[in-house]
Amino acid sequence: MAYQWDWSALFDNLPTLLSAIGTTVLAAVFSMIGSLILGLPVALVRLSRPQVSWAAYLYIELFRNLPLLVLVFWVFTVLPLITGLALNPFTCGVLALTLNLAAFVAEIYRAGITSIGSGQTHAALALGMTRPQLYRRIILPQAIVRVVPALGNLWVGLFKDTSILSVIGVGELMYEGRMVATDTYRPLEVFTGVAVIYYILAYPQALGVNWMFERFRVRE
Amino acid sequence: MSSDVSDVLLRVEGLHKHYGPLHVLRGIDLTVDRGTVVVLIGPSGSGKSTFLRCLNRLEEPSSGHIYIDGVDITALRKRLPLMRRNIGMVFQHFNLFPHMTALGNVAEGPRTVLHMSRAEAEARAHDLLAKVGLAEKASARPAELSGGQQQRVAIARALAMQPEMMLFDEVTSALDPELVAGVLAVMRKLAEEGMTMIVVTHEMEFARQVGDRVVMFEHGAVIEHGRPNEVLRHPQHASTQRFLHSLLKEMEV
Repeated sequence: MAYQWDWSALFDNLPTLLSAIGTTVLAAVFSMIGSLILGLPVALVRLSRPQVSWAAYLYIELFRNLPLLVLVFWVFTVLPLITGLALNPFTCGVLALTLNLAAFVAEIYRAGITSIGSGQTHAALALGMTRPQLYRRIILPQAIVRVVPALGNLWVGLFKDTSILSVIGVGELMYEGRMVATDTYRPLEVFTGVAVIYYILAYPQALGVNWMFERFRVRE
Repeated sequence: MSSDVSDVLLRVEGLHKHYGPLHVLRGIDLTVDRGTVVVLIGPSGSGKSTFLRCLNRLEEPSSGHIYIDGVDITALRKRLPLMRRNIGMVFQHFNLFPHMTALGNVAEGPRTVLHMSRAEAEARAHDLLAKVGLAEKASARPAELSGGQQQRVAIARALAMQPEMMLFDEVTSALDPELVAGVLAVMRKLAEEGMTMIVVTHEMEFARQVGDRVVMFEHGAVIEHGRPNEVLRHPQHASTQRFLHSLLKEMEV
């Protein structure tokens, strides 16, 4: 006998699901900002002398190769234990996403920085600039424009990855979906609805990234 | 040539540069008097550009000494940027900052390095753009300028630091032939104003008319130097004769 679809389980609980979108967006925004900030020193250390750059190399390879799910669980269970801090699930989730994402952001920054020709460095140093002035005025402003599209791609991935935070009880879209599915015994309808909501949110962002690739195409 | 010590701006003693097994500078000695124009010539790969970049330490010399105003700059670390303010440099490929306007490029040194106010720096930049004949291009981006215009902006950018000496590294080599004259005219004017200049170039007419001295490089060493008319018209060294001949042939083609 064929499955009897009952969409009322979804529609009755739509307000609950939609209200969880805010948490999804916040988790993504905070993680993105955190990793954009953390990624810069990691990239700069990675590009500096071999005596120190290994530390950044270690960071990048560690967090790139750790499965995100494992990292989320680890931050949630182990970190409060060793730091003694009472961290709520949302903070843990954002922290884990940030640590993971910063490794990728650092690599993108590094690619952007190394793509700026040595002629720029020579010209700036010949004017009498110090290294910090060179980076602040010449290298970074050009590098950031070049990496905007790549960062946009990362954002689109991050937005979907926030669903992983449901496993530690962060009340975002996926978590609320699981709650509603359990309450109503209608997982097929509810998860279909959750999927559609994610898609409706993510698709315009992907279009935005495509637009950024056009807009920020490097002309040399 | 004057023997007055205070006339000497730059003195290089026994400069060597190694790139791994390559010995690209083999003990260069050179003295440049204030207000003179020294032209470095020689085949590509002979070490002229490397030598020039050692003078403001964009390249690190392997050994030897460089004195500017009597100060040995080869040992500087913290004060290196301070020394570089004093030496303008213009590059073969311009190296303008593409994210700034022409005016922004010229004002950048005074603003960031000398901490001038924006108004003051831009006033100076406007004057210099006018001097190189590009007053009306102040708001143009480098990408909107011809190679010759970009190079003149680059000269203005270096002059904005009011340097004691200017280094020119094959500044017309990357230009279309019809744009070379405009850049050389700016350099000529600069020389007439008494700027101390060290010029790496293949423009022999410029070397003859503007140079006070010509220095011939080969295989990382100076093989001949003297007044332009001596070196360019009556070269003593066989290599210099061959080199000048090959340039002449190129022009005839």
